[in-house]
Amino acid sequence: MATLQQKIAEKFLAKLADSKDVDGAKLDQLRSLLADGKKPKAEDLVRIFSLPAGGDLK
Amino acid sequence: MIKLETAHIEEVRGIRKLDIDFKKGTFAISGPNGSGKSGVIDAIEFGLTGQIGRLTGRGTKGLSVAEHGPHVDKTKFPDAAFVELKVFLPAIGKTATITRKVSAPKKPKIVPADEDVIAALAEIADHPEVTLSRREILRFILVEPTKRSEEIQTLLKLDDIGQTRSALNAAQNKLQAAQATAAAQVQSGRNALQTHLQISTLLAADVLEAVNKRRKVLGLPEIAELTADTKLDAGLSANDKGSDFNKKSALGDLNALSEAAKKFPDLAKKQAAAIVADLVKLETDPALLTALQTRSLIEKGLDLVDGPECPLCDMAWEDEQHLRSHLQAKLAKSEEARKLQQSMLSNGGAIATEAIRVIGLLVPVQKLADTQGNGAFTTLVTLWKADLEALKAKLATVDGLTGLKDRLTAGWLAMPEAFLKGLKTLTEKIEAKPDQTATLDAQTFLTTAQLRLGDYREAMRKNKAAEIALNSVKAAYDAYCSVLEDELNALYDEVQEDFSKFYRAINEDDESKFTAKLTPTEGKLDFNVNFYERGLFPPGAYHSEGHQDGMGVCLYLALMKRLFGDQFTFALLDDVVMSVDVGHRYQFCQLLKKHFPNTQFIITTHDRLWAEQMKSAGLVTAKTSIAFHGWTIDTGPLVESNLEIWDEIAAALAKGKVEVAAAALRHHLEYVSRHLADQLGATPQFRADANYELGDLLPAVLARMKDLYGKAAGAAQSWGNETEKEAVGKRKTALSTSAGAWSPENWAVNKAVHYNEWANFGKKDFEPVVGAFKALLASFRCENCESWVHVTPRGNPESLRCGCNSINLNLKPKPK
Repeated sequence: MATLQQKIAEKFLAKLADSKDVDGAKLDQLRSLLADGKKPKAEDLVRIFSLPAGGDLK
Repeated sequence: MIKLETAHIEEVRGIRKLDIDFKKGTFAISGPNGSGKSGVIDAIEFGLTGQIGRLTGRGTKGLSVAEHGPHVDKTKFPDAAFVELKVFLPAIGKTATITRKVSAPKKPKIVPADEDVIAALAEIADHPEVTLSRREILRFILVEPTKRSEEIQTLLKLDDIGQTRSALNAAQNKLQAAQATAAAQVQSGRNALQTHLQISTLLAADVLEAVNKRRKVLGLPEIAELTADTKLDAGLSANDKGSDFNKKSALGDLNALSEAAKKFPDLAKKQAAAIVADLVKLETDPALLTALQTRSLIEKGLDLVDGPECPLCDMAWEDEQHLRSHLQAKLAKSEEARKLQQSMLSNGGAIATEAIRVIGLLVPVQKLADTQGNGAFTTLVTLWKADLEALKAKLATVDGLTGLKDRLTAGWLAMPEAFLKGLKTLTEKIEAKPDQTATLDAQTFLTTAQLRLGDYREAMRKNKAAEIALNSVKAAYDAYCSVLEDELNALYDEVQEDFSKFYRAINEDDESKFTAKLTPTEGKLDFNVNFYERGLFPPGAYHSEGHQDGMGVCLYLALMKRLFGDQFTFALLDDVVMSVDVGHRYQFCQLLKKHFPNTQFIITTHDRLWAEQMKSAGLVTAKTSIAFHGWTIDTGPLVESNLEIWDEIAAALAKGKVEVAAAALRHHLEYVSRHLADQLGATPQFRADANYELGDLLPAVLARMKDLYGKAAGAAQSWGNETEKEAVGKRKTALSTSAGAWSPENWAVNKAVHYNEWANFGKKDFEPVVGAFKALLASFRCENCESWVHVTPRGNPESLRCGCNSINLNLKPKPK
């Protein structure tokens, strides 16, 4: 049975997928961060959202 | 989840050695206070979770499973204290045994050690809330909204969700601050470029006009269009790019700083004054200062939480969720401190922006002083710039701001005393230099312009990236809050609907229109209930304590249903069913049967009558209940078995111990007659002290039973139901026959009723007494389910039934 936390995480990621402000690379990393009920830290999120648009290649 | 098959308990709490067969069904454990019922609950809870709720949480300081889990005589031998549970795991269809020692509560022995079995048992170990005790029941009902929110969120494990939201919010705040810094650096770069180009606006046409003018001097082609790749010094040879000192530009930088310095005393003065006012407020209100400091400390602590041990005080909590909830509730409470924090950080951010602008003005002057060999002034500017950078960092945190009162009062910029003089000296030195040739001027102009354009473009790029990061985190935070709000509202709607439904089911006679409202707001959970359709009020406002207790159980059941869904197969209710007031217990049993048919409840109660009512209502049977009649430190709970009561009496008589048999029979008759009087609605002569004796109750029960059989016979007659009429007749005859043994003429029995002289009887005298009562009581009991008969509904009976409905006699005659 999916926990409420997992359910919210799934809906959250689905909603973000429709957002023009969050690209695929950020979404993938977010998905990985929230997988298996992991507890994200603010610093992890700052790192993800600061990724250059489209990925982290320089 | 699980269903409990058997438990073997040794040397745990008040139990020495005890085996119980729970038969995977709802089970009642009754007995007077102090007879060891809760010890069984503690042991099962320990076996499943490694914890004992009564030894943790509030009001249990100094208690621990390690020290107080073993029987008091075995505290030095915790290895001897263990629980072995045989459980069925419905989700995977397996049976397993889990053995847990007090000496190693986190290392249970599980057989079979299959991965799915271990995972299923680990899941229940993570849910100590399967145990609900009397002292916990009101924690959902009569607590302040923030505490209720904490309790319920912990139970539903919502604190993890709150943590994700907090992390997103913290990330948003950090990226917002980063973007503000990036924007200020863009402004600073723009000013530097404009100052150098000597233009008032940074329009491409103006830039090109200034640049092309110098390019023409050098015979370089004009730049027609300013693109992202345009190099303003394109065409200059490497040698020509050797120096970027441009006298006019240098003077422009010096002049810009000099002009800006005139306004330094008033720079962000208002914001600095506001912070000072907030700091003064903190000095005069120590509680607020503590709240703010605590807030800051707790925020740091929350970031560091990574397990059940508090990173701030090292205290070990029950689990990480409880610790997080505790810290988050503390944050929610300091609302005034939060507003103050917000105000201080906002003003600090405004000052930081000005600091960045000043640093931007200092950078070219610092470089200029250095290249001109003005060592003392270079050092002064370098130190001041470093000081402003350090200040900028302090302005971003409450801790940093609290140490800045003197500086903010005296002038946060802290311009060095010798600065203006040094600036003037450097300006004079530059002015004194001979004008550069037109060629050199043009070369250095283009070189510096390109450097500053590059810096500006880099600042723009960083700012754009910061904006993208900020927009994405904002979108994520908004999306998360929106999803969270929708899900929580749906969850609370579902919980309040179930809660209301359960409560109505128990109180259908007087609160059939009962409703409740759970309203979640930031950090709080308001809970209001309808009071006889007069409006919504807090539960403690008008409802009786008994009703509030009933609400506690119903809310618990609603929450557990939401938490586990179909997997809610097991719960330990430790003396909480007593909380349901007497008039509504039958309905409570029906609630458990109807709404939780797949859940095994292990229920303890100190009220034997209630234990019998559970049997009558068919919630448990004689085989799925156990009674303790006492407890000693050496033996643990003393088990009483109703099924074997006649065997026990016979055994005592066989040993010639009439006094033991007499006491057992008297005791049994007392509670059975009390129970039957209640179940059948008998009317003994009223006693204000309710201290009814056997002689008051038993005759009234017999009279009531005869009356009910008469009604049943009359009803069967009116409906023309000959079969039922005949069945009633047989039962009536059986009752009369057995009741005949119990008659005023039977001197031996009569003495039992009015005088407790059995103990003085001989074995031969007493055996007929036992036989008479055994036959009499059997006529009140169903042969199939062994429950006592009862009338339903209680107030105005319509039928006489047993727990399995093998006996189901209609009492309502056909309307005429």
